[in-house]
Amino acid sequence: MKEHMLSDEWIVSYAAGALGEAHSVLVASHIAYHPVLQEKLVAAEDIGGALLENLPETDCSEDMLDAVLKDIAAPFSVPVLSTAPKKNTDLPLPLSDYIYDKSGHRPDSLMDIDWGFMGPGMKKHRLWKGPDGQCLWLLRARGGTVMPKHDHGGDEMTLVLKGAYHVGSQRFSVGELEYAEVTLLDHQPVIDEGEDCICLVVTEAPIKLHSFLGRLIQPLIGL
Amino acid sequence: MIRCRLVCVKTIMELQKSHIRSASGPMALAFIYDAASCRAFAHGRRPKDSLTADEATGHYETKLNLIKDTVILEDQPLHLLPHDQLMELISRHRDQAAFKVLFRHFAPRVKSFLLGFGVTNSKAEELTQVVMVTLWRKAVQFDPQKAKLSTWIFRIARNKFIDDHRKHKYPLVPLEDHLKDMVAPEKTDQALGEKQEGQRIKTALQKLTSDQRKVIELSFFEELSHSKIAATLSLPLGTVKSRMRTAFGLLRKELRE
Repeated sequence: MKEHMLSDEWIVSYAAGALGEAHSVLVASHIAYHPVLQEKLVAAEDIGGALLENLPETDCSEDMLDAVLKDIAAPFSVPVLSTAPKKNTDLPLPLSDYIYDKSGHRPDSLMDIDWGFMGPGMKKHRLWKGPDGQCLWLLRARGGTVMPKHDHGGDEMTLVLKGAYHVGSQRFSVGELEYAEVTLLDHQPVIDEGEDCICLVVTEAPIKLHSFLGRLIQPLIGL
Repeated sequence: MIRCRLVCVKTIMELQKSHIRSASGPMALAFIYDAASCRAFAHGRRPKDSLTADEATGHYETKLNLIKDTVILEDQPLHLLPHDQLMELISRHRDQAAFKVLFRHFAPRVKSFLLGFGVTNSKAEELTQVVMVTLWRKAVQFDPQKAKLSTWIFRIARNKFIDDHRKHKYPLVPLEDHLKDMVAPEKTDQALGEKQEGQRIKTALQKLTSDQRKVIELSFFEELSHSKIAATLSLPLGTVKSRMRTAFGLLRKELRE
């Protein structure tokens, strides 16, 4: 079966630096799982490099060169590539880096995240909320949970970090990504039996829950 | 300014290795150190063994570096050296002259790139300085087998701009080591390879339709999202996305051939 991966325009936009906060974290995390996407990323960044190389030159003063030469004459320590711990973790590095960048704390595992109540069998952790309703958050659902049926206020991107779920006949497991367009109705993921499923999600706007109870508690959840 | 040109020539490198195994002391070093001897050897003549032990010892470290992958072939002005080798001079020898050559080539382009984002001239200069200082400091991390120099500098410029412009760092993807085998084919002459590569992408970009080129340029030069490109060009979102996929597919195909 074909793996569920993002299509190329997202790789190009990530390479170009054109993704906002929520999408850049999710897309980078997704690419981290797949060498085939990393190869595409390098190709896209090569295009960026070639565009840079082919740009017309703008004058840079000799003063600027002097200032840089002064800077580089100062002692410095060789920067380390990443502050990430070497030990195994179930967090993809871009997500781990993002959490560290935001909070100064690097969780060892997804279980270390501060989970808040969301609904029966479901927990959430909000990472970021944008001014126009866009939201980057983590969802944790117990094995066997049937998610509340919903429609979308905008496109929704879900990256599986742990466990698996299915929507109808399609199954999504670790590293795979579900792209639910705004037009997708009656979206109802069902978590595989067994271990918890943890996903990184970007929603463009609050989802539209079908059930009255769901709509009632939604403002309290803040998603 | 005349410098030795370090050129990766595999056949000579092999000859050189076998020669070193059979020669001893100053004579072996003389071969490595002396450009004229090297040329002589390349032409099938025995290298002269005129170096004193002290002179030779003084260049021992250089020898080790050179043995690894390069050999002194001929005298060349520094600015004609391939960029990858200038980077090597920076990372191994902290060579400021090599840095100046790269500065004069890349700083004006990085500044143009940053000005394209609509920042002020002084902001563009400030960030260009940061990018160039980063190039100096991270030179040891640059691996020409893993990335082209222009790509590496593009990444630094992109990341510095975003880090400066937004409240968060751009999340970076760790690349797996085996990728390098897929990315960089063997090159016998990197100077030529680099120029051809740039020219190839330029030609590939020119082959795109103007509509296709536009979505790529709006992504890289203005960092516009799909929906903002759609709004700018008054196109449906789906059209923008499929145009980007097509353009990228064509560019990738050109680059692989």
